[in-house]
Amino acid sequence: MGFGRFVVTKAVSYFLVLMATVSILYLATYSVIQKVITSSAEALAIEYRQNLLKSTHLSLTPAQIQTLTEDYQKSYLSQFAFNQPLPVKFAVQIYRLLTLHFGQSYVLKWNGSQNVNTIIAGYLPNTILLFTTATLILIALGTAIGLLAAKSAGSGWDRVVPIIAVIHSSLPAWWLGFLLIAGLGYDLKLFPTSGITAVPTPKGWLAIDLGVADHMVLPVLSILIVGLGGFAYIVRSLVISTMGEDFVLTARARGLSESRVLFRHVLRAASPAITTQAILAITGSFGGALVTEIVFNWPGIGLLTYMAIFDNDLPVIIGIVFVLTIILLVGLFIGELVYGLLDPRIRVSGD
Amino acid sequence: MTSQTKRVRPSLVKELAKSKSALVGVAILLVLGGLTVYSVAALPSSFSQRWQNGDAWVLYPVDAPPQWVTAFGYPEAPTVNVSLSHWTEQTISVGTENLTEYYASVSFKWSSKVFPQNIAFVPVFQGSPSAITVTWTKPGGGSIDVSVSSPASGAAYEAQSPSLVSATTQYLLNQTGQYDTQPTGQQVVSAFFGQPGPNILSSSTLKGTYQASVQVLASSPVKMSKSLVVVIGTSYGLMGTDNLGRPIDLGLLAGLPNALEVGFLVAIISVIVGIVFGGLSGYFGAKKDEVMQWVALVILAMPALPFLVVISFTTRLNLWVEVLLISALSWPFYAIIARTVALSVKSQTFVEADKAMGVPSYRVFSSHFMPRLIPVTVAYTVLGIPGGILLAETLYFIGIGPANLVTWGGILDSAFASEAAVFGFWWWVIFPGLMIIISAIPFVLLGFALERIIAPRVSTK
Repeated sequence: MGFGRFVVTKAVSYFLVLMATVSILYLATYSVIQKVITSSAEALAIEYRQNLLKSTHLSLTPAQIQTLTEDYQKSYLSQFAFNQPLPVKFAVQIYRLLTLHFGQSYVLKWNGSQNVNTIIAGYLPNTILLFTTATLILIALGTAIGLLAAKSAGSGWDRVVPIIAVIHSSLPAWWLGFLLIAGLGYDLKLFPTSGITAVPTPKGWLAIDLGVADHMVLPVLSILIVGLGGFAYIVRSLVISTMGEDFVLTARARGLSESRVLFRHVLRAASPAITTQAILAITGSFGGALVTEIVFNWPGIGLLTYMAIFDNDLPVIIGIVFVLTIILLVGLFIGELVYGLLDPRIRVSGD
Repeated sequence: MTSQTKRVRPSLVKELAKSKSALVGVAILLVLGGLTVYSVAALPSSFSQRWQNGDAWVLYPVDAPPQWVTAFGYPEAPTVNVSLSHWTEQTISVGTENLTEYYASVSFKWSSKVFPQNIAFVPVFQGSPSAITVTWTKPGGGSIDVSVSSPASGAAYEAQSPSLVSATTQYLLNQTGQYDTQPTGQQVVSAFFGQPGPNILSSSTLKGTYQASVQVLASSPVKMSKSLVVVIGTSYGLMGTDNLGRPIDLGLLAGLPNALEVGFLVAIISVIVGIVFGGLSGYFGAKKDEVMQWVALVILAMPALPFLVVISFTTRLNLWVEVLLISALSWPFYAIIARTVALSVKSQTFVEADKAMGVPSYRVFSSHFMPRLIPVTVAYTVLGIPGGILLAETLYFIGIGPANLVTWGGILDSAFASEAAVFGFWWWVIFPGLMIIISAIPFVLLGFALERIIAPRVSTK
């Protein structure tokens, strides 16, 4: 099977996963979604009515305005098949959700707009920036440490394992954030502790980017400290188990240098499994990273969720759930493609 | 199956007992268990309501560090709680009236140079005494008389109560001849603990023995109970207090049973579902395996945190709903592990031999797969408990969870809202987080010991 066909099969499979996941989410949040649709219709209708009242050149009577507003509200609701039988409603609303029609927020705003899409689009890039940076550093450092640890297998590592496990399974990244804020931020004043840029915003793109990087240090650090040990440990075990395979022995017998064996043979063979583990680690740490944003006042999706909980802003929360599901699946899909690239066997035995 | 597991079980316990880290784990677990029993037994069921009620904590200092910091040279005033329990009774005549007088007295030593935050007197009685007079005698011999007419039982008379304010005004007038303004709470405390100078506020406390004598006058018999004199210092107890005066140690104790309960239940449910699902998936293989893997992926793709947030808006969360939701989102992780184990068993020649000999599939599953999956289940249940606790506390931290519950995450949430990290209230941040970690340690140690014992058996080499 060629790579193209592999991509297509995977794409179909992931699309089906997306449909199933979204359906479950939809059914679980059905009542909230209906509430959100009606409230959005009302909010938009009020806005529409005020626009009509302002546009005096149309010279409408109050009764006309009333009818127009009602018509507008009805047409918005009918876009969501609000009064249709359930199967139609299900299909139409899922379609609207997948095409990112989440309506208007109750309270929250982004640049004055209450459109949920605009709000999420405003916060999402910051989450992606923070999380991608942390993840890339985690994978690079974790793989390097894991390899080094595998080289010196059987040494002090085994004693460190329980400590790593405690950190990995119980240390909340957001709590660590608190400590970093108190220690490195306020006491030593090494790094900024809150937000994404300095106030007032510095001039010039370089100054702005450096400022963002500076603000990112502590949140990235707290995500790293929690995740790094666990990931390095997984890489180490995978590499050690690969080292026992016959082809490694062959490579050594051919007189290749130890580092060449490690990088060109062992790492290459272990990389599909490492990719799987990386994907699992990433999905697992995503929730914690979202909460870390709250502690650092990092204007991303996590902070948005926190504010939405505070304001009972249901449309925003619904929007976040669906957008994150789509993003997570796209991420997993890309991961799967990388997997396929790294391990030709997957492509062949894909069916 | 039975013969295999019977052989496994006793040796498992024996091998565990050999592992030092497992023993440490068991020891910590016993301590946590003891604290849980104590928490359930000692704290009344109404404790969570009391915790939410800010008025219930007036006798505690606010934002106070632990009392033991004084041992490290930090000048903090301790919180002193003395009770008046031995009341003497005598009848006295005032004019034509016969009154009963009740009297009690306590003294305590004060050695901190820092003024306390507040001072409070809490009379407890049955009946209706006409007046209470508290005579406060300082080490130097100066004394302040506080009179409360028609006192209320259980009420806290503190520095800003009218009776203490007027007593202080009178005292300062006598001492310095100055009568400027109504003294503030801080000035009242200053008058009770210091030598008033020309600026009324004195700079440091008088060290030595303080005495509080209480005289209760009543026209009808009154039953006096244990009353309190509380010097509300600037430090408190083992772990300090929060911005409402709530002791952190008490809150952590109250949050322990819930944390363990959620952790245990989430781990048991999600691991059993995950192992059965993943085990069967690996055992079936082929098309069925593919479908089951697909189902696991569907669940894995749900963004757990925001999803739970939405659900919390649709349903009133209670412990079970919360546990089931968290479990429903966590089992795929265990399914992946179990599937790997099942696949490795499946590739063994003895499985193929059994199949070739026509052994029924349920027997193949129970005799070869189950014995290897059960230890994995045990190990991962133990290892899964900290994950359950962590997710639950994370949810509490962002304000999602059953109402009226004292939780570690909730305490950290209020610390965050009050910017405890900014103000340097480290005790409010550190101890709840440490509890999350400490509650995880025994399970991680035990789980690892178990895994190490089980691993050679699973690999079937």
